[in-house]
Order: sequence, then C-alpha cells, then structure tokens
Amino acid sequence: MLILVFLFKRSRFLFPLRRLLEEYKKACLMEQYEKVEKIGEGAYGVVYKARDRITNETIALKKIRLEQEDEGVPSTAIREISLLKEMQHRNIVRLQDVVHSEKRLYLVFEYLDLDLKKHMDSSPEFAKDPRQVKVYVPLPNSMWHCLLTNSLKLADFGLARAFGIPVRTFTHEVVTLWYRAPEILLGSPHYSTPVDIWSVGCIFAEMVDQQPLFPGDSEIDELFKIFRQTEYVGKPQPSTICANIGKYGIVLLILGTPNEETWPGVTSLPDFKSAFPKWQPKDLKTVVPNLEPAGLDLLSRMLRLDPSKRITARNALEHEYFKDIKFVP
Amino acid sequence: SMMGVYDDTWRPRRHHFDESDELPLLSDECLAMMVERECQLWPGVPYLNRLQTGNLDFGARREAIDWIHKVRSRFGFGPLCGYLSINYMDRFLSAYELPKGRVWTMQLLAVACLSLAAKVDETEVPVCLDLQVGESKFIFEAKTIKRMELLVLSTLKWRMQAITPFTFLDYFLCKINGDQSPLKSLVMRS
Repeated sequence: MLILVFLFKRSRFLFPLRRLLEEYKKACLMEQYEKVEKIGEGAYGVVYKARDRITNETIALKKIRLEQEDEGVPSTAIREISLLKEMQHRNIVRLQDVVHSEKRLYLVFEYLDLDLKKHMDSSPEFAKDPRQVKVYVPLPNSMWHCLLTNSLKLADFGLARAFGIPVRTFTHEVVTLWYRAPEILLGSPHYSTPVDIWSVGCIFAEMVDQQPLFPGDSEIDELFKIFRQTEYVGKPQPSTICANIGKYGIVLLILGTPNEETWPGVTSLPDFKSAFPKWQPKDLKTVVPNLEPAGLDLLSRMLRLDPSKRITARNALEHEYFKDIKFVP
Repeated sequence: SMMGVYDDTWRPRRHHFDESDELPLLSDECLAMMVERECQLWPGVPYLNRLQTGNLDFGARREAIDWIHKVRSRFGFGPLCGYLSINYMDRFLSAYELPKGRVWTMQLLAVACLSLAAKVDETEVPVCLDLQVGESKFIFEAKTIKRMELLVLSTLKWRMQAITPFTFLDYFLCKINGDQSPLKSLVMRS
C-alpha cells in the first residue's frame, strides 16, 4: 500500500496509473448506491429509485449512457448538470452528486415521492387554488429560476422525462408534444423563452382541469379529439382533413388557425400550410371551465400563439392572479 | 493572444430573437449573485502567479489558445464559446497538474475544453473528431477526447456555466443608457 501511495504521489509521470486509480475510486463510489427499482425511462437513460448505503437515504439515480463515442459527453447532460449545479432552491430538485465511469454517468438526485400528477390526484383541493404553484422566470443563459412553492419541486431539465409526468408510459416524443409551443411545431428554427411560458400555460390548465389541455398520443388520436371538440368540422372525414391538419390541429383549433394578421410571419414558418383549415378561435372558458376570471386572463396570455405576444414570466408573476401570494425568492 | 479571442467584433450570429422577445435583462439582485459566482468560477490568484513565474508552461498554453481561436472561427462559433474554452482550460490547469514534458496533454485539454464549451453554448456542434482541424500536431481518438472531457468536467465539478463579461454587457449598457434597453449598435460595438 505504501508503495502504491508513493507511486501515486510521483505519478505526475504516470498519468495512466493515476487515471486507473481514479476509475477505481469511482467504481467504489457507485457501490455506495443500491438500486431499488426502475421508476422511469427517457430518451437518454433510465431513472432508478435507489438507496444510499452509507446514509440509508432514498435517492433517485438517473443513468445516462456514454456509449456514443463520437459525441463525447452528450451536450444535454452537460447543460442539465451544470444548470442544476448553479441552482439551489428548495423548489428545484437537488442534484446531490455526479458519478461517472467510462460508459455511464449517474446523476444522484434527492428522491421525490410524488410527481405533479400524483400530487394532484391525491389532494383534490389543489385544483381549487393552483396559485400556490408559481411560474418560471427565464434568466439570461436560459436559466429557470424562482419557481414553485413549498409543496412542489421542479425536476427534469430537458432530458429523460422520468421526473416529469410519468403516470402512463408514453414515448418521449408524445409527452413533449402536449406541452410543445406552436412555433416549434410549425418548425420555426428560432425560438426562445416564450416556449417555456407555453408549457407552463399547458400545465397550469392541466392543474386546474385535472386533465391535459392538448393531449394527443398519436396524430390520428389528436385529430379525433379535434373532431370531438369542435362544432366547425362536423362529421369526421379523415381522408380529406387528416392530410391537411397533421399533428398541429388541436393547438390551432382552440386558439383559431393563425394567419398573418394574428401572428405576423407565421405563414413563412417551414411547416405552415396554407391548406390548414381556418378554424375560429374557441373561447378558452369552455375549455377550462373551473378557472376564475383572473386565472383565465393569465392563461390566455400564456397561450398566445404568437410568441412575441405571449406574456413574459416576469409580467406573469406581477399578474393580478398572484396578487395575494407571497413569493419565495 | 489571449485578447485575440475576445477582440473580434461581436457578431450576433444567431438571429434568435426579434426585438420584442429578447431575453430579459439582469435585475439588480441578480447582478450581485452573478458577481459572487464570477469569483467562484475563475482560476484564482495562485494560478496567475504560476503563469507569471513560468511555473506553468506558458508557451504551451498560448499555443493551445491560438488553436482554439483558429478552430472557433473555422466553425463560426461565437466569442462566448472561445471565452468559455479558455475559462475551462485555466480552471482545469489551476486544479490539476498535467504530466510535464508531454506536449500532447495540453493539446488534448484544448480539444476537450473547446468541445465542452461548444456543447454548452453552441446550437450546432460537430463531432469531437471533426473539431481537430487547424494543423494541430496531435489527433486524438474520440474515446480519448471523451475521457478527457469527463476529467475536465469532474475536475471543474461540472460547473460549466461560467460567468463571463458577456453576462454583464447588456446590464451595464442598459445602465449607461439611462435604464433604457441597450441599443443594438452599442452592443455590437462593445
């Protein structure tokens, strides 16, 4: 052992040996965590419920594969971890540790036993006053900051959706589709923080209504939801309308099909089709019946099709709907 | 040559934002937080001393920075990407001693830092292997670069969101301009 230590100290010249020892140390570190069960799976890896053998704490382990040699360490992982490292807030899930080997990266998170959906299901009063949930403030560097309140935590920054809404198993594509802003759906190459506000708006409506605002588990299903919800389309005729609407139908339906007047520049977005049926905007009230007027006003400002007309996070926090809520910095 | 990375004119290369939906400006309380973080995320005085006393291979560092600068302009990466690469490199060197007399380690470090910075800041990043242009003496395998990336990431404790002068640019321009949004022309000039 002494010899090893001696060699290690002199190992400025023994780069590989030093690395070997580091790898060994890391392998030991992984021993510290014992997987209990798989709790989610996303595009980038698997999330496990696990136990810390030393502290006996329950934690969540997010495994990210590093097998893609060409890419090196995935940029999504670098961004997620480095953003979480700068954010210490009681409403943001705490990243406790990052452990890696050659082939895998493990993110060690505090364990959250309820996700938003389960929380909503377990406390029906929640829907009556969803104000206790606050909105994201996008900061420069697209950092999300200043979030939710006491009872809720924000987790999952852009990667595996395992902390997101893992009630049923969907493909990655579909889940994000529910909360995806129209400018992304229409193929806009340039988008910014308003896409987050759109997502928050969708989740806000979902919390009030206890059901997703714009759900669709396939393009066809989405289409049929449109048929069910609208009086303009009449009897479904999938062969003709299907081709025109695609997956964008439901968003356009409720807010009306955008045009140059309501959203300047929309017709030049790559995936905009002039053949989209021209739906009239539907009153949001009939979509989210449980919401008080101030909330409805805020929601409608968050769900503007044109991103430049969408409310900013800062203004959203100053909205009347939140006026008697004390914010936790 | 360190200035070389910063002194080219600011090109807003990604026209992401219309006038109306630009990112919000820093608020005053954010500023204090950012300044505090800036101090945590720079290499520190002992490192500067080492550079000055020649305790560290200054020439190799400069070569590496020149290389980063070349590759950065080849791929059209922005100035922030260059700044971040060098921040990572300096912070790494201040915390980790590369084996002496092995020139390639500094080059490997430069490749890894540029690759990391590009992944943090750029929207389109070529694969690591393709980054190695600009007549470098050594070409590394993708596996080696990945390993180095991991070493840099863990040495820097994954704190890759460094605070740079760019962070404060808008804020101070706004203050100069009497709390109006900074003029585009001013941003370009600085």
